[in-house]
Amino acid sequence: MDAPSRVSSVRVAVTEYLEIDLGTETWHCRRCQRSLGPARSNYKEGCLAYARDPSTLYPPQVEGERYSFAPDPALCLLVEFYCPGCGTLVETEALPPGHPPTHDIELDLDSLRRHAADADATRKP
Amino acid sequence: MGVDRATLLAWIKPSPPSAEELAAAARLAPGDCEIYSEKLNAILDEAADVFVRTGVSSMLHSGDLVVGIYDPAGNMVAASCGVYLHAVSAQLPVKFVRSHFEDEPTVGIHEGDIFYCNDALYGGIHNPDQIAIMPIFHEGQLIAWSCAAVHQPETDAVEPGGMPGSAKSRHWEGMKLSPIKIGEHYELRADLLEMMENFMSRAPRMQVIDVRARVTAADRIRRRIQDLAKAVGAPLLGGLFRKLIMQSETCARARIASWPDGTFRAVSFADTVGATESLVRAALTARKAGEQITLDFAGTSPENDGPQNAFAHIAAAHVAIYLYAYAFHDLPVSAGTFAPLDFVVPEGCLLNAGSEAAVSQSVYACWQMLTLTPIVFSKMMYAGAQRPLVAASAGNNHTVPFVYAGMNQWGGKVADLLGYPFNGEGLGARSDMDGVDCYGFPMAHTGLGPDVEDVETETFFLHLFQNELIDSGGPGKYRGGTGVESALVLYHMPRAVVSSMGATTRVLIGQGLFGGYPPPAVPGIHVVGSDALEKLGAGEALPRDFRELAEKRAIKGQYRFERTARPSRMIGKGDLISVIASGGAGYGDVLERDPSLVARDVREQRVSPDAAAEIYCVALDPGSGEADLEETARRRAQARQARLARGKPWAEFMVQWSKQKPPEDMLSCYGSWPDAKPVRPVVRL
Ligand SMILES: [Zn+2]
Repeated sequence: MDAPSRVSSVRVAVTEYLEIDLGTETWHCRRCQRSLGPARSNYKEGCLAYARDPSTLYPPQVEGERYSFAPDPALCLLVEFYCPGCGTLVETEALPPGHPPTHDIELDLDSLRRHAADADATRKP
Repeated sequence: MGVDRATLLAWIKPSPPSAEELAAAARLAPGDCEIYSEKLNAILDEAADVFVRTGVSSMLHSGDLVVGIYDPAGNMVAASCGVYLHAVSAQLPVKFVRSHFEDEPTVGIHEGDIFYCNDALYGGIHNPDQIAIMPIFHEGQLIAWSCAAVHQPETDAVEPGGMPGSAKSRHWEGMKLSPIKIGEHYELRADLLEMMENFMSRAPRMQVIDVRARVTAADRIRRRIQDLAKAVGAPLLGGLFRKLIMQSETCARARIASWPDGTFRAVSFADTVGATESLVRAALTARKAGEQITLDFAGTSPENDGPQNAFAHIAAAHVAIYLYAYAFHDLPVSAGTFAPLDFVVPEGCLLNAGSEAAVSQSVYACWQMLTLTPIVFSKMMYAGAQRPLVAASAGNNHTVPFVYAGMNQWGGKVADLLGYPFNGEGLGARSDMDGVDCYGFPMAHTGLGPDVEDVETETFFLHLFQNELIDSGGPGKYRGGTGVESALVLYHMPRAVVSSMGATTRVLIGQGLFGGYPPPAVPGIHVVGSDALEKLGAGEALPRDFRELAEKRAIKGQYRFERTARPSRMIGKGDLISVIASGGAGYGDVLERDPSLVARDVREQRVSPDAAAEIYCVALDPGSGEADLEETARRRAQARQARLARGKPWAEFMVQWSKQKPPEDMLSCYGSWPDAKPVRPVVRL
């Protein structure tokens, strides 16, 4: 077993923008280090969320047509999750309006701790 | 009759080795495995080459095929692809033939036999995917099997093209062959060829030629394996086959064990079920523990009375497309890779529908797998050594296979599928680079676009344009690769039948990765009675892209903007039809994209100036077109502030969000909202 003091400062990068602090068992933004809540919960609960009309990304090219080149916001919205510290776009999800956002990453922290021994995957904050 | 679903699913994994195989594998000398596995690959490459040169259908010419070598029990040893899902699924009819016909005196398995099949209930994918299978004997002993498969764009179904969108049960889908023996003593039986030709009266020539092409490819493998057995002995080959399977399994297990344990989930939505417009959900939960992964599709919408259904083994086989190309791209393409994987595909979901279900568009039911698998595996792999393989998904089914049928200008009947539009999808962005522009067909990584000139010679179409489609790559720190836009005009002939398939027009099926955006969905355009041919005759300018068509109406005619899923229809000379291949999904936050790459993309017309300004927040110098770094930084800081201002804390967001729901009339095939459980029985006649 690793002594808690030895692993307390180890953070493992889990996505482009998220890391887990194995000592405090918390999610963190890799850009600004802001805590995004307990690592056993969904990191999205620690983010700011916004439902974006996808037709702002892909605007219509014809007027007054049902099929206009723009996604239909009645059927599909882009839910954006921002780091509340720095505004980085941590994750997006295309969902029908009202569909629960996905709890996409649920890591076994004991297993992650074992993997943290692999220096490639870790860094000191 | 038939095979139960659990058996078919179990047959995807390798069967345990025999004592003789293990002993033979142990006896391999140093270098044997390396040398003779390359020999197998060379045999397969030769067979694939022969296959392409022998057949005529466009899918064959674009390389969307597989040729494979299987051990005597039917386990995949090596394959040249093409379409990895067929490499995996070809095991199932081989295992069926062995288990049902070996001791059946009216059939049996003998040297020189040629088996043939296409029915999904026996391990196939959908009717168009026809496969030739040959047992390989050496000194009277069964030592291997060879297989050759390619999609045949005609099946004698209710519509031309082999993937009828209007099908409501299997009875609408045309020729379905359980594994049958179509040849003995290395000779094809004329009566059975005649039967198939008779079935395929829309395209008899293609059917007969391509049956022969499949058999020729399978037979080339047979001859080369027999030569090899003569040279090195059957025991060495038996040991080599098992060693390759064990190598893949051992390496796959070690790699999986190196990733942290956990549960990873993804969902994807489409808006089209054959002829019906309805939302459907595909859901994947990957539970990874130690060296084992369970892929669970619970939460996928219920089966429906349209053609977008699959069976459990079809769903599982689609995972191969990702595994062999990304996570395990460097391992032998053998059945061993599937040994650490378990599949849960609940009965009654559209990925495991009842036996009477139409599955003519099973690949559409499963195409969301191309979105779901890269996401869950990327999230598994990011913390491990495979980070360079982390990637967003390719185009995910905004791509539209386009089918045509009729009499061509040479007086021949043709019914085929245009191979190149979907062989030009953009690839998903990776953790370190943009997705490849106009990459290929995400289902068949080696697929190439056939020459437009060949298509124009063989058929009645003139291509007005074929371009990379601007803004079609999902935006991100790394951009998804661009897709392709094409416009065809009916030329030469007074009329033809066309149709196209799609799973979405108004909904984004794709998902970006780590803040990247999915690629756009686009509709179809049909200009009825266009004056394109008159303009061409008069030497006048013709539209050069979708925007000139959609926004500027650059040719005259009656414009129809429509779903990408287009049922069969008659078109007349001069009619224009659009065909697209989707871009790939983006990776990472758009505001982190190198501004100089955005400037390059604008210069190369892959990103519009509007998208550069509004999505990427990059300021371009109006004179030089170069990025103004200072102004860009200011705009991006502003954009981040705007996100912080509009974003709501989770609890507050969810209060508003949970009150919303898509319109009821778009949930007819979805299942219960939002958990997609069956709410009504599906009745099929
Ligand atoms: Zn941050």
